[in-house]
Amino acid sequence: MQGKKIDKEKLRVALNRFVEKQNQIVYGYGKNGIFITHKIYTDHVEDLSLFNPYFGINGATFFYRVFSKDIKVVMLLRPCEIRAMIELVKLNQIEPETITMISTDCPGTVSLKKAKADLPDDFLEIQKAAEKDDGGLRWACKFCREKRGVFGDAGIRVQEDGGMWIFPYTDKGSDFLNLIDEELVEYTGKFVILESMKTEPFVTDMDTFHKDFSKCILCKNCRDMCPVCYCVDCLFNGDEYLPKGDAFINKMLRTGTENLPYGKEIFHMIRMYHVSQTCVGCGACEEACPQDIPITKYFKGISERLQNLFSYMSGRDVKETIPYLTFKEDELKDTED
Amino acid sequence: MSDKTEREPEIVGFACSYCTFKASEMAGSLRMKYPEKVRVIQVPCSSRVDPAFVIKAIFEGADGVFVSGCHPGDCHFIKGNYYTRRKMAALKEMFKAFSMDGKVKLFWISAAEARRFIEKITNMYNELREEKNAGKKN
Repeated sequence: MQGKKIDKEKLRVALNRFVEKQNQIVYGYGKNGIFITHKIYTDHVEDLSLFNPYFGINGATFFYRVFSKDIKVVMLLRPCEIRAMIELVKLNQIEPETITMISTDCPGTVSLKKAKADLPDDFLEIQKAAEKDDGGLRWACKFCREKRGVFGDAGIRVQEDGGMWIFPYTDKGSDFLNLIDEELVEYTGKFVILESMKTEPFVTDMDTFHKDFSKCILCKNCRDMCPVCYCVDCLFNGDEYLPKGDAFINKMLRTGTENLPYGKEIFHMIRMYHVSQTCVGCGACEEACPQDIPITKYFKGISERLQNLFSYMSGRDVKETIPYLTFKEDELKDTED
Repeated sequence: MSDKTEREPEIVGFACSYCTFKASEMAGSLRMKYPEKVRVIQVPCSSRVDPAFVIKAIFEGADGVFVSGCHPGDCHFIKGNYYTRRKMAALKEMFKAFSMDGKVKLFWISAAEARRFIEKITNMYNELREEKNAGKKN
């Protein structure tokens, strides 16, 4: 694999070269008070944090419906965020022509809800901190499916001694690499982040599901913060699925439900199905949940199970089609009962 | 109180108007009988069925749901039922993960197969009734 060895300074110079031109912006992380959050650099890159130990929002959430063709963007985000971007490209929510997506190796993150302030933004230091006191890594990060920066147009990978390399995967990526003053070199060493372990297929039952979600207050924050839940006119915005007023009383009498709010199971099950092939398992839903329900466990488990059915992985490649939008004539013979 | 009375399962069915719904009409004109608690809903094509309908039906009180369309390759809209097959395979996998298999069924029944329609539905009904009344007998 051919790549360029970089460090923070070289990357900063390259990004400044890019951002100086009009209508070209850089989207990445930066210090924001005592925490590190997403940041947009419009004319000067000063204190870019390449790695971010906090997870609050999935960065793709800000980039729904980006169709503007005269603004060029370079994105330096985590693999899960780049994967969500790629899924949105497949769903025609983003025009990818002017966007260069660069995924960075991810050391794992802590929840922004309970995090300590002033964590470091250096890769190895984050990893050390995470190992020391188990770091309070989020559940989604402990069982992450892919932490390597191998998605998008280019990827930044970290060597075992902390050195960084950037590898182009597409033409757009090569164009960005031309801004860096280095020669392309063949790389043969080892990386810090290796392929994730395969997990067992997820199994649960309705009682556990009911117990876990009994706290749900149906605020729908998980839907709003989900990067791939993109529908403008969501199924649950109207009265059909979550009725109110008279329709609600009638439904109560007819179905005999006693536990309120009505429709928790329906809401989560339907949403679980709808995002099943596009879910990237980032855990933004759990982060947004005010009741601390272990949503990610269910959504990630189910989505991985359903994606394995079609040997698909969300966000792996822009050229793949989402399984529900395509078919093969000769498959799934045992689906019929 | 309700230990001795046999409880009847309710089944909601989504039937393609070109195949299965025609088969059900034919079964009617041939005076065949199927369980009363089966409610068949006509849809233009089996791929019109968003699995959300199925989930909603189950969580609002149905004991079982079937989705039924033309045999693969015979779709009136050429490829609708291939999409149905993928969607329902995924939905079944999801219900399996929740240990609820058997609640959702997918049938291929063409317009001429009235007898097959009756058989399939009666079988499903009997299965669900046994499951529902398990441990309630003696």
